Amino acid sequence: MSVAPENYVGLSAVLFFIGVVGVIARRNPLIMLMSIELLFNASNLALVTYARAWVNNVGHIFAFLVITVAAAEAAIALAIVVVTFRSRRFVDVDEVSALKG
Amino acid sequence: MVLLYLVWLLPLIGAIALWAFGPQLKSWAGPIGSALIFVPFAATVFLWNDAVAPHGLHAPLVSWLAGWDFGLQLDRLSLVWTLIITGVGFLIHVYSIGYMDGDRAFARFFAYMNFFVFAMLTLVLSDNVVGLLVGWGLVGLASYFLIGFWFYKPTAVSAARKAFVMNVVGDVGILFAIFLIVSRTGAIGYGAVFHAFTPVQSVFSPHDMFLIALGLFIGCAAKSAQVPLHTWLPDAMEGPTPVSALIHAATMVTAGVYLIARFAPLWSSSPDAQELTGVIGAVTALGGAILGCAQWDIKRILAYSTMSQIGYMIMGVGVGAYDAGVFHFLTHAFFKAQLFLGAGIVIHALANEQDVRRMGGLRKTLPFAFVAMLTGVLAISGVPGFSGFFSKDAVVYGALETGHPWLYAVGVLTAGITAYYMFRLLFVTFFGAYRGNVDPSDLGIRHPELAGTASTAASSGHHPEEEEPHHHAPSWLMSGPVAILILPTILIGWLDFGGAGSRWQQFFEGFFPHPSSIAYPPVELRGPGFMSSELLTTVVLLVVVVIGFAIAYVRYGASPALRGAISRLRTETIRMPGVLANAYYFDAAYEALFVKPAYALGRWFYRVVDPHVIDAGVREVPISAQWLGHLFRSFQTGLVRAYALTIAVGVVCFVAYYAFAFTGGAR
Repeated sequence: MSVAPENYVGLSAVLFFIGVVGVIARRNPLIMLMSIELLFNASNLALVTYARAWVNNVGHIFAFLVITVAAAEAAIALAIVVVTFRSRRFVDVDEVSALKG
Repeated sequence: MVLLYLVWLLPLIGAIALWAFGPQLKSWAGPIGSALIFVPFAATVFLWNDAVAPHGLHAPLVSWLAGWDFGLQLDRLSLVWTLIITGVGFLIHVYSIGYMDGDRAFARFFAYMNFFVFAMLTLVLSDNVVGLLVGWGLVGLASYFLIGFWFYKPTAVSAARKAFVMNVVGDVGILFAIFLIVSRTGAIGYGAVFHAFTPVQSVFSPHDMFLIALGLFIGCAAKSAQVPLHTWLPDAMEGPTPVSALIHAATMVTAGVYLIARFAPLWSSSPDAQELTGVIGAVTALGGAILGCAQWDIKRILAYSTMSQIGYMIMGVGVGAYDAGVFHFLTHAFFKAQLFLGAGIVIHALANEQDVRRMGGLRKTLPFAFVAMLTGVLAISGVPGFSGFFSKDAVVYGALETGHPWLYAVGVLTAGITAYYMFRLLFVTFFGAYRGNVDPSDLGIRHPELAGTASTAASSGHHPEEEEPHHHAPSWLMSGPVAILILPTILIGWLDFGGAGSRWQQFFEGFFPHPSSIAYPPVELRGPGFMSSELLTTVVLLVVVVIGFAIAYVRYGASPALRGAISRLRTETIRMPGVLANAYYFDAAYEALFVKPAYALGRWFYRVVDPHVIDAGVREVPISAQWLGHLFRSFQTGLVRAYALTIAVGVVCFVAYYAFAFTGGAR
């Protein structure tokens, strides 16, 4: 039994929307990072779905690329969060605005 | 043919070698430079028989475009010039070894001189109009180098610059003439170009031919110091005296004569050009001679006499008496070189004194210089038997023969003035008592460096503590070439003895086109029946010359004049008319017409254009960058979530646009 691709794409869109709202609405950087992971994986799900539907391996390969980039991003972002917390003692992203123009 | 390449290239090799290895060669630079001029001279003599053949000797060099072949050509006309350039050039090189001895740039001097000879040979040996222009430009460059040779003298530097700028004016004239020629004929070789000038071919309208001749003549006027482009020549005397002898008397300044003689087919087909050239030549001859009467600097007197004599030559070749004009070039090269070299001996002996008022009585202390100058003066004044007599007679008779009685009259008058100012030079310099130890202000001289401290100041070159002049005799290196030059100064004129059948006329038989007697019928002087017109013109010329000599003798040579020389010279200096002392205000006019406006334009650019256009434009770049940055800094809130929202909204807009564009556009 197979599930129709529209369902996967719909799930991907829902996940993506949740991720966008999480990034924009929350001020905790850890939550924001998790939301970004949601964004990545929503797009991964869409890529894999379309790859299966159109019998084209490019989507699979691209999903692997996204996973790699996501891992690198998580490492750097968590490092930034840790460094910020050590120097500022708080982790509200709205307070971290030293590069304000 | 190989020899011809050698003639052309040896001076260039010499110039490069002396320039590159001058410091190592030390005093060998002079002999090497001289030898590299003598070998081409000997080779040219060796090539004589080939050169006098009807079409001359031809040596190809390179082909550029189709029909644009560059080569060397030695025919009768360029043979005359090549022999003078290398022959007289060699003598002057030898003289320079003595004259320039001890100069700190000895080798550089000979490198420049060899370069000049190479440039001049390029000019006269080229077989096409482009090569001619190349040589024309290079001699101007060599002249610039050598006038400004003593570059620590500001006057020498400005004189060199002036000469170069005025010569470039002439170069541009020739360039435009070449443009016209090439645009109509497509060829640059003399043979093809001159073929197009013959009336049968009618490639050029008379108007075009006049324009070409005008362009070429602007070049001649600049190079050969013809009115109104003559003002650089007297200033060019700032260079060392051998340079004045070789470049600004014997060879380079006669390039204009060569050009017109070379383009004889053009001039013979364009009566307007002949008229213009003849008149300018006559005006220059007369104007230069009159200015020669008003000068006290020995080299400037000779410079104005050069200008005047070249006026004769230009008048001769201009009216169609080509062989007479070229003959005057030949004799002038000898006697004027000799006059300059003799003057150089005097200047050298008196430690760079050039003012004839501070000379006098040098006949006894410098007898050799006196003999040299005397023969030169006799030749230039046109005393029978000396070379200048024959050639000057030929030129003025040529003017009459080609139907220009007014030019003839000016030529005769100028001959009288020439005799006057040349004998004036001779009397003031060599007769009477020595005046070098007289206070300059007693002679009416207002030397800026001598005024005020006249008796005590030891300015450079003058040694007031020396009561008796230190007249050191010239070395054999200086007197030898002058002694050799005395022979042709006296004898070369006899080549043209005997009218139509003379050796000179035979030499150029069939080379130049015949003067067009249709435009101007020949004029004959009518005298007593037993005298031919030719003989009568000679007699008239001689009478005028004798009158000129007599006036000079009464004013400067007779014993009362010699006794009162100091007070006489003082009065004359003070009473000198301003128009003569300032050389007809040509320099002042150029100053007011060109130099001042150019400075004013420069100041306007400096005050207005530079700060308000260029600098302001440069300043606008950072100012606009700053403004742009100010505009966008409000977006940098520092709020990460605001950035994220911006990105999200942007993505939504982006996707929405494409969604509408593709779905909506497809319907």
